[in-house]
Amino acid sequence: MSENQVPEEIQESAATEAAKLGIGTDEWVAQHEERIARKKGIKGLPQLINESIPAWARWGVLLLISFAFGAFVDNQYLLRIGVNLGLFVMLSYGLNIVMGYAGLLDLGYVAFYGIGAYGYALMSSEQIGHHWSTWLTVLIIIIGTALLGYIVSLPSRRLFGDYLAIVTLFFGQVFVQLVLASDNITFPWAEDYVDITAGANGIPGIDPFSFFGHKFLNIRDYYWLLLVLVALLTIAISRVNRTRIGRAWRTIREDALAAESMGVMVNRLKTMAFVTGAAIAGLAGAIFAAMQTAVFVSGFDMPLMTMIYAAVILGGSGSLAGAVMGAIVMSVLPEVLRVTNYSEILFLAVLVLTLAAVGKSVKRFTINIVGIALIGFLVKILLGAASIKTTPTKEWVVGPVSRALSHWMYVPLDRVLWGNCAFVILIVLIAYFTTTTPRIKSILLPVIGYLGIFLWEVRLVTDVNTTRQLLIGAMLVVLMITRPQGFLGKARVEVL
Amino acid sequence: MSYLGQQLVNGLTLGGVYALIALGYTLVYGVLQILNFAHGDVYMVGAFIGFFVMVGLGGPLKPSVPVAVMILIMFLVAMLGTGLLGIVIERFAYRPLRNSTRIAPLISALGVSILLQNAALLLFSANIRSYDTSSYISSTLGFSFADITIDGVRLFVLVLSIALMFGLARWVNGTQVGRAMRAIAYDRDAAVMMGIDVDKVIRWTFFVSAALAGAAGVMNGLLLRGVSNGMGLVPGLKGFTAAVVGGIGSIPGAMLGGLLLGVVESLAQGYLSTNFSDTITFALLIVVMLLKPNGLLGKRAIVKA
Amino acid sequence: MKKTTRLGVVAASAALVVSGLTTVATPATAASCSGTIAIIAPLTGGVAFIGKEQQGFAQLAVADYNAKNGTSFNTKDYDTQLDAAQASTQAPNIVANKDVLGAMGPAGSQEVLAIGGLLGANNIALVSPSATRTNLTAGTFPNFYRPIPNDGLQGPGDATYMAKTLKAKEVVVIEEKTAYGTGLAKEVVATLKTLKVKVTNIAVNEKNADYAAVVTRVSKTTNFVFVTFQDAAKSEQVAQELIKQKKKAVVFGSDGSDQPTFKTPGTLVSAFAPDVTGLPVAAAVVAAYKSTYKAEVTTFGPPAYVAAQVIVEAAGRACAAGKPNDRAAVLAEIAKTNIKQTIMGNALSFTANGDVKGGRFYIFKTQADGKRKLVA
Repeated sequence: MSENQVPEEIQESAATEAAKLGIGTDEWVAQHEERIARKKGIKGLPQLINESIPAWARWGVLLLISFAFGAFVDNQYLLRIGVNLGLFVMLSYGLNIVMGYAGLLDLGYVAFYGIGAYGYALMSSEQIGHHWSTWLTVLIIIIGTALLGYIVSLPSRRLFGDYLAIVTLFFGQVFVQLVLASDNITFPWAEDYVDITAGANGIPGIDPFSFFGHKFLNIRDYYWLLLVLVALLTIAISRVNRTRIGRAWRTIREDALAAESMGVMVNRLKTMAFVTGAAIAGLAGAIFAAMQTAVFVSGFDMPLMTMIYAAVILGGSGSLAGAVMGAIVMSVLPEVLRVTNYSEILFLAVLVLTLAAVGKSVKRFTINIVGIALIGFLVKILLGAASIKTTPTKEWVVGPVSRALSHWMYVPLDRVLWGNCAFVILIVLIAYFTTTTPRIKSILLPVIGYLGIFLWEVRLVTDVNTTRQLLIGAMLVVLMITRPQGFLGKARVEVL
Repeated sequence: MSYLGQQLVNGLTLGGVYALIALGYTLVYGVLQILNFAHGDVYMVGAFIGFFVMVGLGGPLKPSVPVAVMILIMFLVAMLGTGLLGIVIERFAYRPLRNSTRIAPLISALGVSILLQNAALLLFSANIRSYDTSSYISSTLGFSFADITIDGVRLFVLVLSIALMFGLARWVNGTQVGRAMRAIAYDRDAAVMMGIDVDKVIRWTFFVSAALAGAAGVMNGLLLRGVSNGMGLVPGLKGFTAAVVGGIGSIPGAMLGGLLLGVVESLAQGYLSTNFSDTITFALLIVVMLLKPNGLLGKRAIVKA
Repeated sequence: MKKTTRLGVVAASAALVVSGLTTVATPATAASCSGTIAIIAPLTGGVAFIGKEQQGFAQLAVADYNAKNGTSFNTKDYDTQLDAAQASTQAPNIVANKDVLGAMGPAGSQEVLAIGGLLGANNIALVSPSATRTNLTAGTFPNFYRPIPNDGLQGPGDATYMAKTLKAKEVVVIEEKTAYGTGLAKEVVATLKTLKVKVTNIAVNEKNADYAAVVTRVSKTTNFVFVTFQDAAKSEQVAQELIKQKKKAVVFGSDGSDQPTFKTPGTLVSAFAPDVTGLPVAAAVVAAYKSTYKAEVTTFGPPAYVAAQVIVEAAGRACAAGKPNDRAAVLAEIAKTNIKQTIMGNALSFTANGDVKGGRFYIFKTQADGKRKLVA
């Protein structure tokens, strides 16, 4: 029945296009409405959620959950994940101002986080021997990172887009190198070298926060601190966003030249974005250092940077709720995926959903599931007939899902070899799948589905950590293709 | 003098490899105005393909074909393999995003980069492989000139990278696809109206760009040995830097940028500080960028309103 | 209508999956002695090759012990990517896992600094196969043990060998800016200076790939280039580049270079064990590793086997003494470790601070045929 549907769709879209595309109308402009309009089916789901739940309800529920989490959860690991999430949200907020609102591609952003952390470490540990009060230290860090943000913003007055990206990228790299190298500085006037940052050794033994005589010895203290800070930041940023400054930022993002000619103080606003973002990251860094009581420069390098970017863009650049969602995905999901049981269930759910989305009809969906089951039995019979040795069931069953599959699945003894072959074949098939005719597609789909399950049970389960990274990578690509504006972002038309 | 000469030789070879990577960035940028951040990982894949071809031909200790033929096959297979990989990446990660915001392909590329790195980890395991060139290319090969030694591998890499650059220049200027590519870079809409098959040209662009990265990967293996799944990050950044310094989108710019970057890095390591060499390179580049915001040979960007 | 049915099918199949999951409950393992050995290692990321090998060997150690003693100890992986922040996120996770009796790892000294305290407060022993920084066993972490000698033995030992036995006059120390490289280079440089050897310390970034420029800086009169890389391909590159640039200096690699890829004839390498692959006591383990994990044995694996062995044996003893699943008992038993001969060939017992009693380093010289010969 879906086959009958296809020509209708084509007719329909052709008709609307013809109606919209008058002479002298740009195709891009003509499609503007359509681009912004909600997509049908699963693709439109995020937007539906976005539009149907009012902001106050969303934030209220979030706050309630976070509050309950802090109040009732007693597991240190979960609390630590909560704290990581809080820090991640702060970083995403900061980047959201710089990149999401003002549209400045700052690839050195994570350095401010590192500077905040190292700043706190130097002022509150035996490294130099200072143990200043938390109030003073945090104040110095906020002002210091803001000033640095100002300095880094200077090139943005002359440089655009990718060129700005590269200058800031260097700023981030230079920070790492300076910290690494500053354990062994010889001054012309001194005999012995001076060790400032301890280089790659990092700085251990950092004092925890201490306010009004209360020392933050429990991770829960940091959780509450971060919850309050994130709540305050959410209110402040969304307020600012609605003022003249917020609007001006967005005009710079859309078209700096036009903004300038309309009297927007482009340079000053760019600087403001940089400074605010830097100060937020610096503060987050200080909290991180105090919470972990040790800092190591390798944690403030490109991998974290890419994670923050991914979080902001995943959630929807320019949206605070999106930043929170992105932070959850990038900092909580990897922890969830560490547990094989969960990742297995998640994998199967994603597979079923994908089949449902691709199959488009109940009949097709059923055929696919039955097809996968049949292929599975066929493979089991064939491989069994070829008397290829199997891995004992108890060695590869890791959770309820694989236990349920264990009578159906054939797991060869040489899991690495078979898994690698399946991996390569799967990629080739997927590549072929997207370019071929519907008829072949419908044949291929169950094969791909089976190969996916096979690969999962044979190879990926044994290598959970690599799998986790693979899934994150795949998720980024798929999300960008299906919803480039991010999960909760608004679709916008960009003038190129 | 000989010290300076030796450092220049070191820098030029390194620069040749950077230039090849930079060319890949610049080609794609010229046509699509996107930064292909997965480029460094394509380079990694190229190095791996080269390695496995070497092992497949009997390994470095007892190659089943003459060494020269083996190296030739290594390059050809690696370039073909990465070229195809480039087409696949374009088809899946970039084509659906062609009319999207500028940041979307960037993130998509990030995803591809993570995917490639971990796919390599899964398929090739985490071991660091070594090209082990010393067992089949004598380390005393090459020639000396006034105390400057240019060993065989270095000379070969330098010559090959320059040859590839000239080949590319000929391809861009002399062939129909190359001309179509330049037309698209200049004005995509007009090119479409002239009947140019944009998809085909973009496919070619990605093929060539990735093949160059693959060649650079094999060169890196021959020159520096170690091959691992995370090796693409730094050369990727360096190549990107070189492309931007030269003026992104400009082919001679990428060559100049790459060679310059290699030489500056070498001199910084040789005369100032090995530890701060990247910092020094970066500082210099920032100065260049502030003086010439569009790169050394880049055209002044026309800001469309 | 169509949409609702489609959603219905999705929901139904999801429900089916969920119900299938709930019915198949995990059966409890009923063996006399059980418990989990945590494996804290960089299983993904830039140095995954270290973590993977450590993981494989640790799993083998536990499996071997189970096979011999009929116990059912198991392992659980905690990936840290050699990142202290990730390690310290995992630390409470390890603490919260009531089955964990002790931890093999973490790989990096900085990770020990980040998590040692928390795990110590919860009586979880850390037995690291590769964290060699001297100050880790200075008394701060009473729960920390390592089956390998520390940098305080290796650095000065190598330096003394170069200066006294080989009469080196001029040495270049290439210090890779990692926690490992920096710590070791400091020890070497300090000892060489006291022995009146002319030392040039060249610090390089870990991300650096081409060492031609560095080698060009090495003077013609230099006797040795001491390298502190963790990737032997880099040491080999330096050795070959020295030959190409016609310099007589010989590369001296630390244990990080103790891998088959570093094989230029004449080079020296120090290792914390005699060549494990040639030891009869290790033959079975090495063969099992090669067949199970299809990878070469390098310097990182065997100590992980010993580290896991230390924990699992201590757990076994604690269990036999009537204290199953008691972390404190396991920790106490680890201190009493006394292995006659480990797969690294030595006898193993710990000092009060957690270092190997009587630990020493071995120095090898690569022969013309690529094989290594013990010289000190």
